Amino acid sequence: MTGRKQVFSALDRKETTRVPIGEIGGGYTEDIIKLLLGDEYMTGHDSYFQNHNKIRQLLGADIVGARVTGPPVEITGTHKDWGTAVFRDFWGASFTQPPEATVQLVDPIAGTPEELERWMPPNVDQFDKTKVTRWKEKTELFVLATLNAGFDLGYELLGFERFMMWTIQAPQVMRNYFDKLIQTNLSLARMSIEAGADAILIADDLAFNTGTFVDPAYLRSDYFPLLKKMIMEIKKTGIPVFLHSDGDLRAIIPDLIDCGIDVLQSCDPNANMHIPTLKKEYGKDLVFMGNIDVDLLANGTPVEVIKTTRELIKDARQGGGFILSASNVIASYCKPENVRAMYATAHEELS
Amino acid sequence: MTTASDPIQQAIILGNVNSVAELVNNLLNQEQAPQSILDDHLLPGMAVVGDCFKRNEMFLPQVLMSAQTMQVAIDILRPLLMGDAMAKDRRTVIIGTVKGDMHDIGKNLVRIMLVGAGFEVIDLGVNVPAQRFLEAASQHQASIVCLSALLSSTMNNMREVVKAFRENEKLKTTKILIGGAPVSREFSDSIGADGYAPTAPAAVEKVQIFFN
Repeated sequence: MTGRKQVFSALDRKETTRVPIGEIGGGYTEDIIKLLLGDEYMTGHDSYFQNHNKIRQLLGADIVGARVTGPPVEITGTHKDWGTAVFRDFWGASFTQPPEATVQLVDPIAGTPEELERWMPPNVDQFDKTKVTRWKEKTELFVLATLNAGFDLGYELLGFERFMMWTIQAPQVMRNYFDKLIQTNLSLARMSIEAGADAILIADDLAFNTGTFVDPAYLRSDYFPLLKKMIMEIKKTGIPVFLHSDGDLRAIIPDLIDCGIDVLQSCDPNANMHIPTLKKEYGKDLVFMGNIDVDLLANGTPVEVIKTTRELIKDARQGGGFILSASNVIASYCKPENVRAMYATAHEELS
Repeated sequence: MTTASDPIQQAIILGNVNSVAELVNNLLNQEQAPQSILDDHLLPGMAVVGDCFKRNEMFLPQVLMSAQTMQVAIDILRPLLMGDAMAKDRRTVIIGTVKGDMHDIGKNLVRIMLVGAGFEVIDLGVNVPAQRFLEAASQHQASIVCLSALLSSTMNNMREVVKAFRENEKLKTTKILIGGAPVSREFSDSIGADGYAPTAPAAVEKVQIFFN
């Protein structure tokens, strides 16, 4: 059975002889791919597609995350402290990537609520669909097209603290802001579907390990109605919708179901998101994906990874509705032997 | 949510940035001691905020508003507290995200809640090398350092910071508290830190215990 069919079987609540497995987004960072592929790792023209395809073949992954891609970022200067390039992204915010570190916001899209109210999202006409199409046409992987909605992207473009304060200080401006981001991402979802996506993944971190960033009541009144509209529009095409959010989402799972989410991804055990337990309560309405802690992949042993993966599969596979993945991106701090152990365990034939 | 009859406490809990300055100035005009305004009005208000956050009765936006309100009040009191004998041993905490890690949400939340709990917080920002923590602890005569990391890869840099402090004759007794998503009590023990806090309110409690 192809990877694509494996995932569709899980979505249809069908048990198969093994559970589907794969990662969302890029899935694996370039450095871990290099470690896993060794001499097979390619550089130069077309290496991204070739390496990402090879790593999925090597591990036996069923899924690939892909995006319709925007215009290249614009380099606008050099950061005064780090000396690294400052670049403006498609949305108009400026970022830099300091040495050995993750990308950092330098200049938000707005410094005041008034500026934000005037801010208009850019046109998506120039986005390129070919990467999504290529994965669909050239592989048998389940193509999970990744985009955002309004919340996670919202604070990335404004800065976290500013965003959080404005939910109280300028609620109408923030509602309008969510709407603008969601409308733009809905356009990207439509493009992704035209390009051949098997499903849409909305990446939208809503929570810490101890609960949601904001009051669930706020999400219900000011955010979820807009998110629901977006999801319902996507689902008119018959395409399932995945949501990725880190953190403890238990207080809002019924709301996410009401919004139309089909699959909830991440399910970090450190955030009390234990899939077998969640499946008992919400398994009729939601498929769950994730649950392998990247810290286990980073600090555990292959024996521990195999044991944890087997237990999870045993407890979560009944009746389908379960896809195995790490609860976050697999990076070089994960031991290659642990990553191989997780995937090999998922491929053990089940009775 | 818990409410308070004291107007200043209420302003802190509700995050009324615009009203707190007037309320604090009124008490000063009534010749209430600045230290008493801090200890009897502001800190109890922020303690309620911390408790409510811990119980998921308040969320980040509300905590940020309360912390901003607290900051307005402290800015009024700070020059007056400087001359107050009781404020001389004002408790200083150094905080930062360790080298290689640019994540600051958790670290900022701990900073906000420490400021709210009345500590003097020196925030070194993100991607902070071990040497910078040592310099700051020495410069500010701080006896507590809080380290944050979000990534499994960078949490190991906490080990370097702890080692640097333990090998420094003058700073080896500095209390080191660690926190962040991948960090655990076992990891804290394994690197020789003095404590681990799974949440921001827990970090404040640990820091209070260290000082007491």
